[in-house]
Amino acid sequence: MKKILVLLLIALSFSGCEKDDICDANTPTTPRLIIDFYDASNPTELKNVINLKVIGFEMPDDEPLGTFTGVSQVQLPLKTTLDSTKYRLILNSTSTSGSLNEDVLQFDYTRKDVFVSRACGYKTIYKLNAPNGVTKTDASTPDGFWIQQINIETTNIETENETHIKMYIL
Amino acid sequence: MLLSFLSQAQEVKEVKKVNEAKVKDSIPPKKERYGIRFGVDLFKLSRSFYETDYKGLEVVGDYRLTRKHYLAAEIGNENKNVADDRVDFTTKGTYVKVGFDYNTYENWLDMENMIYVGLRYGVSSFSQKLNSYEIYNPNPYFGEAPAVFPGQKFSGLSAQWIEVVAGVKAKVFNNVYVGFSFRMNRLLSQKKPANFDNLYIPGFNRTYNGNFGVGFNYTVSYFLPLYKSTVKAKEKEKETKKKKKK
Repeated sequence: MKKILVLLLIALSFSGCEKDDICDANTPTTPRLIIDFYDASNPTELKNVINLKVIGFEMPDDEPLGTFTGVSQVQLPLKTTLDSTKYRLILNSTSTSGSLNEDVLQFDYTRKDVFVSRACGYKTIYKLNAPNGVTKTDASTPDGFWIQQINIETTNIETENETHIKMYIL
Repeated sequence: MLLSFLSQAQEVKEVKKVNEAKVKDSIPPKKERYGIRFGVDLFKLSRSFYETDYKGLEVVGDYRLTRKHYLAAEIGNENKNVADDRVDFTTKGTYVKVGFDYNTYENWLDMENMIYVGLRYGVSSFSQKLNSYEIYNPNPYFGEAPAVFPGQKFSGLSAQWIEVVAGVKAKVFNNVYVGFSFRMNRLLSQKKPANFDNLYIPGFNRTYNGNFGVGFNYTVSYFLPLYKSTVKAKEKEKETKKKKKK
């Protein structure tokens, strides 16, 4: 009987099985590009954007990623199938008085698929090209730049826990 | 029951002179058969027919060491395709498990059944082929990416684990036994493929939580008797005492 008890104890020491076929939302998977906005005239201060409409370059106008107001950070998903993603960033997008300003940003990078788990499959991580990881162009109808300067903090886009790019804006 | 058997036995005329010093009554010594038993896992065999993505074979064997202890082993080969939501892969490989079984069942007369618990040490050598995978993107603004088909092969993988076994074996006729067993497995070590994982290991089965597994087999086996051994008086007394207590 003692031997059976010992075996039962060994059996109990086996960890119970948790459900592992649903990808937990807290699991770090494919990261977005994290951009922080700073005040170009006071470079140590974060600056909030107003009505910043972000649209994928080839996406229709009525399908923006989102419109951001009162935040100093945006998170942009990068394409998992191409080594380049282009966005239109329209500041004061609701303005009719001419303060609307559109800049176009192109991100060029290399991709790597990394295994996460049975439930989540793989995630894509990125490495921005150096140099020329980010290319800034003006809108099709030139209106000047609201993004003054772009600083790449890290070229490795692997988690969303850090700022990848700092932008100094008007 | 056993007591009534003992009293009947006293009337038997022929008394063999064995262990005279210890056995003072006239009970004939109980003899038990020792030998080697080998068989096949019907569960794996039948799955190979009705599951299109599975092929497997397991040969089992045990050797009776003492009245209660059996040396036991399983050798098998598996080829399994797993088509999960996000990964699709094929695992192929061979495994060996060795250990012991402890029979907890008190056989009467010439019964030779087993209700047993046991331990195994398992080793598997296998390869994996990653057929396809999907990228998990919680922000699919540009649409869900299609599945990727790398067709990448990982060979030279291995795993070692321990298994706790519980099962039964029953003699159905002559020297033929059927039995089944449940197993709980825990990985000790493994060689993982680069940028992938061992989600299925031949012999160990699906890995849960990275290192936990369960198993089952249903066997038919043949017993090859090698010699007979007399049950020692001491052991028998112990048995009788146990029965009296109950």
